[in-house]
Amino acid sequence: MLKTFFYSFLIYWKGTDKLYDYIIIGAGVIGSNIARELCRYQTKVLVLDKENDVANVQSLANSAIVHSGHNPEPGSLKARLSVWGNLLYEQMEEELGIPLLKTGAYVVAHNHHEEQELDKLAELARINQVPEFSILNYEEALLDEPNLSKTVTKVLSLPTTKVTYPWEVAFAAMENAIKNGVEFRKNALVTKIRKVGNVFYVTVNNNQEYQSKYLINAAGVASDDIAGMIEKKVPYTIKGRKGEYFVLDKRVKGFVNHVLYPLPTELGKGVLITPQFHGEILLGPNSLEVKDKYHPTTSYEGLTYVKENAALLADNIPINQIIRSFAGIRSTSDYDDFYIKESLEVKGFYHLGGIDSPGLTACFAIAKYLVEEVMNVGEIYSIDPNFDPLRKKKVLFNRLSLTEKKDLLLKEPLYGNIICKCEKITEKEILDAMHGPLGSNTIKGIKKRTRAGAGLCQGGYCEEKIIKMIAKEFNISPLEIAYDKEETKLFVAETKVKP
Amino acid sequence: MIKEIVVIGGGASGLAAAIAAKKKNKDVLLIEREAELGGILNQCIHNGFGLEVFKEEYTGPEYAYKFIEEFNSLDIEYLLNATVIKLDKVDDIFIITLSSEKLGLSEIKAKAVVISSGCYERTRGQITMPGDRPRGVITAGSAQRYLNINGFLVGKKVFILGSGDIGLIMARRMHLEGAEVLGVAEIMPYSNGLNRNIVQCLNDFDIPLYLSHTVTNVESDEFKRLKAITIQEVDSRFNPIKGTEKHFSVDTLLLSIGLIPDITLLDDFDIDVDPKTKSAKINQAYETTVNGLFICGNSLQVHDLVDNVSKESSRAGTSAADYIDGLVTSRQKIKIIPKENILYVAPQYLDFGWSFKELIISFRSSKKLEKAAIKIYQGEKLVYQKRRTFIVPAEMEQVSFPYSELSKDEDLRVELEEL
Amino acid sequence: MTKEFICIVCPRGCHVLVDDAGNISGNQCKRGETYVKNEMTNPKRVVTTTVRTVFEEIPRASVKTLEAIPKGLIYQAMDLINQVVITKEMKIGEVVIENILNTGVNVVLTKEIKRKEVK
Ligand SMILES: Cc1cc2nc3c(=O)[nH]c(=O)nc-3n(C[C@H](O)[C@H](O)[C@H](O)COP(=O)(O)OP(=O)(O)OC[C@H]3O[C@@H](n4cnc5c(N)ncnc54)[C@H](O)[C@@H]3O)c2cc1C
Ligand SMILES: Cc1cc2nc3c(=O)[nH]c(=O)nc-3n(C[C@H](O)[C@H](O)[C@H](O)COP(=O)(O)OP(=O)(O)OC[C@H]3O[C@@H](n4cnc5c(N)ncnc54)[C@H](O)[C@@H]3O)c2cc1C
Ligand code: SF4
Repeated sequence: MLKTFFYSFLIYWKGTDKLYDYIIIGAGVIGSNIARELCRYQTKVLVLDKENDVANVQSLANSAIVHSGHNPEPGSLKARLSVWGNLLYEQMEEELGIPLLKTGAYVVAHNHHEEQELDKLAELARINQVPEFSILNYEEALLDEPNLSKTVTKVLSLPTTKVTYPWEVAFAAMENAIKNGVEFRKNALVTKIRKVGNVFYVTVNNNQEYQSKYLINAAGVASDDIAGMIEKKVPYTIKGRKGEYFVLDKRVKGFVNHVLYPLPTELGKGVLITPQFHGEILLGPNSLEVKDKYHPTTSYEGLTYVKENAALLADNIPINQIIRSFAGIRSTSDYDDFYIKESLEVKGFYHLGGIDSPGLTACFAIAKYLVEEVMNVGEIYSIDPNFDPLRKKKVLFNRLSLTEKKDLLLKEPLYGNIICKCEKITEKEILDAMHGPLGSNTIKGIKKRTRAGAGLCQGGYCEEKIIKMIAKEFNISPLEIAYDKEETKLFVAETKVKP
Repeated sequence: MIKEIVVIGGGASGLAAAIAAKKKNKDVLLIEREAELGGILNQCIHNGFGLEVFKEEYTGPEYAYKFIEEFNSLDIEYLLNATVIKLDKVDDIFIITLSSEKLGLSEIKAKAVVISSGCYERTRGQITMPGDRPRGVITAGSAQRYLNINGFLVGKKVFILGSGDIGLIMARRMHLEGAEVLGVAEIMPYSNGLNRNIVQCLNDFDIPLYLSHTVTNVESDEFKRLKAITIQEVDSRFNPIKGTEKHFSVDTLLLSIGLIPDITLLDDFDIDVDPKTKSAKINQAYETTVNGLFICGNSLQVHDLVDNVSKESSRAGTSAADYIDGLVTSRQKIKIIPKENILYVAPQYLDFGWSFKELIISFRSSKKLEKAAIKIYQGEKLVYQKRRTFIVPAEMEQVSFPYSELSKDEDLRVELEEL
Repeated sequence: MTKEFICIVCPRGCHVLVDDAGNISGNQCKRGETYVKNEMTNPKRVVTTTVRTVFEEIPRASVKTLEAIPKGLIYQAMDLINQVVITKEMKIGEVVIENILNTGVNVVLTKEIKRKEVK
């Protein structure tokens, strides 16, 4: 199906002779972080993504949890990389300005049988070397979580669980990578791969070819299809699993303070209640195997299931504060663990297969593991002494203290002009999102970078203002402005003018 | 310096409140976040405004202009391009924090505040509409703004969900600007819009109205643009009926599924909120449960007629002035409770500290009634009754009667008895 | 063929039927009959729409036909109104098309066109 995307285009060949050291397919949290890790060495790196932005597929729609690493099978990559990844988040908060909300988590039990399961889970946490955990009784748990369901009897408390802002994880990594010399091409659908001699030829949109010495497949749910372009026998198959969610408006902030998990089942971690970095609360996800892994849709049944199951965790959920529902598809594979290996058939081709949950948790660790332990890049390329790991934290104006705000306003009056009324996002923040190394000129791109349009009115108020700003900054007609992909133009015509 | 009255919002409501307060010689400041006064009226270019207030039919911008002229002639102080981001009360003084490019962050103090912040549109997220989430599902009010103010058409093949007036008006507007409007679906068995709009916006152009229907699937193309929708008939409990599916290829689905009062500024107050109006509960002076904090217009209850907004807000402005003048005495109040066939009432309290002669109660019915009697009881005693014909939820109703004889201890119950 | 009208004179909204012989039924009062007769012989509507301006801050300005015009002329009227371009500041009520389609009705601005002062 993917291959037919661009058949309608005139095919012309724009060859480039440049030979990259690495091409990475996919700019989710995994591809972006691999790109950044490669910058530590003197390498030429190109990242390709079919979308019009980074973090537009799995990294777009997930629970945003940095899990403690308490439940993967001991000894698995998932166990090791999520405990390590969780630790790295604290470091990346400093280095890359990654948003972190240190919530901790409760896994809840409702009866004697579940309490026994809880003990087993605590034992897993111990084996996986989760640094802190404890079992609390209902009354103890209630102290910090007043809306905890009255049916709960005990909880496993996991203080190292936290919540991040996944889009910012990808932006931060990719911005920093670009600053350190990585090239990123969006709207670049990989349609063909071949290897001649030691060189990979990667065709994009059926009309353009790039060359590299090594090729990294970080294509998420598409990773088996990508591998199938060059391998006869792909070692895993992705069986997409859909998760559906409700978003509660940030006005419910404080309804729960921890991530609340039910006991895990073979389907995964179950329906959760998750406070988000910006104050909203997520209910979900469910877990349903889907035929079409490229097409996340929501359904009555799925969302009803989410509502019913969330009610087992907390009482009186304010469902009248729902502002949105959405779905994401996990890149779950038939291989039991993350599949991070060199291809058995094609030397220099690397798989990141089946990176479903806890892929976000593990992303920094996955990138380091691949680069240092699987690809041994240090043995091929020398260290880049100019690598700068730092990225400035984004200004979240509304979160600053009054004095900080006033100081900034003296320098930059545009922080005074509120564009998004619900999330209180200012003109300056939106301008910053349009410019810079990873700037965007789409409504969705700006929403992902600033949260303008992500609140109560879902852009009803601010979208018009942002359109005007984009038109002005990029000197284009509103007719040319897209919501996301180039084809998703906001308007079909201007009135009162002859076309 | 402390202002006497600050009015937040410069739409039909804020203008009327400010004018009324100023006419009582109060020191008034109005704050509006947009670059011009008039609020939502600026984009409502159709006619049908002002029949009650001016006995003439105006378009939205014309109606706004009438009030702006009067507002300007009274030399009322106002700020444009300034958003109020926070409202607090410390002792008896309100602190209004506003943000603007020109003034940065500033704080204004006031003895009384009138909230006229209007409403926002219900979006797809607030109803469960299964399927894809493509570009092309847009609230009708946003599409109206793009079309009427900016001159851009959001789509060429359009379906509309919800038969509220904005949806109906937009059906005609988009049709006349060259779009093909394939139909309007309404989940209720009756339209939520005025008959006049059904006739002049739909029937005139042969646009079908599907009552008891809702959208049950949304499909996108490979670029995540809207490609098609499915509508289905629903049963009396709003569950879709199998076998009634109809598919439409469209590039736009306009949502006209309701308006919600914008009371985010009240988030920091511990006020009583009415789950039915989704706004603050008020007494007959349009005062919330915080003394000196008034609310009116669409931020109090969603209105279908701007004339009612102006009248109500003018009363709220006058109340604010009375409050400043210290005319409010004791704070003894009783509840006004909606009962049979009544969706909501406003005010929700009758406060005997205010010395009005009449009690004006606005309400909406919860169903369509051919003939009914509005009855208001205090305990067993019938204190008011009146017959009405053709009461529909889509139209706000009002009753008014003197209340000096009422007991100060027992609550009022409002009923609509079907005849 | 029977034609159906919704009477809009009062909120009752009677569905009024007119058969081939011109018999009117379904109206609950006399006003409905008058309304339907009018609708059948000479339905008229006020047209409200916008016109283009040359000003960037006010790309469109709203207009209306000062009185109702025959329903059959709505599309032609739209075509004419769509060609108007405002090039100067104008007041509310000023005429942009005089006597549109010989109906005797003017098309007037319903919004003041005033450029914002640049500070
Ligand atoms: C519902 C849900 C909930 C989750 N919750 C959590 C959680 O709470 N905590 C956690 O740790 N993990 C969670 N995960 C898992 C986590 O989101 C993923 O592991 C992580 O986002 C994977 O990142 P990625 O970069 O591999 O994938 P993606 O973000 O999907 O990136 C893959 C990229 O490849 C691109 N691509 C695909 N095909 C091509 C092609 N042919 N050419 C060019 N580009 C292509 C895509 O456009 C995409 O951008 C969740 C996942 C889901 C779906
Ligand atoms: C699309 C539509 C069609 C309608 N059609 C008709 C009709 O045909 N006939 C009729 O009689 N009535 C009609 N109405 C109803 C009537 O026009 C409205 O009820 C009325 O105009 C609402 O006035 P308002 O002042 O309450 O709200 P608004 O006009 O919305 O004004 C609120 C103002 O407050 C400002 N504001 C909000 N928050 C802040 C803040 N924090 N700081 C500063 N400023 C702020 C906003 O910018 C806005 O200008 C229609 C309404 C709509 C929405
Ligand atoms: S026919 Fe009479 S009763 Fe019926 S809607 Fe018309 S005016 Fe009202």
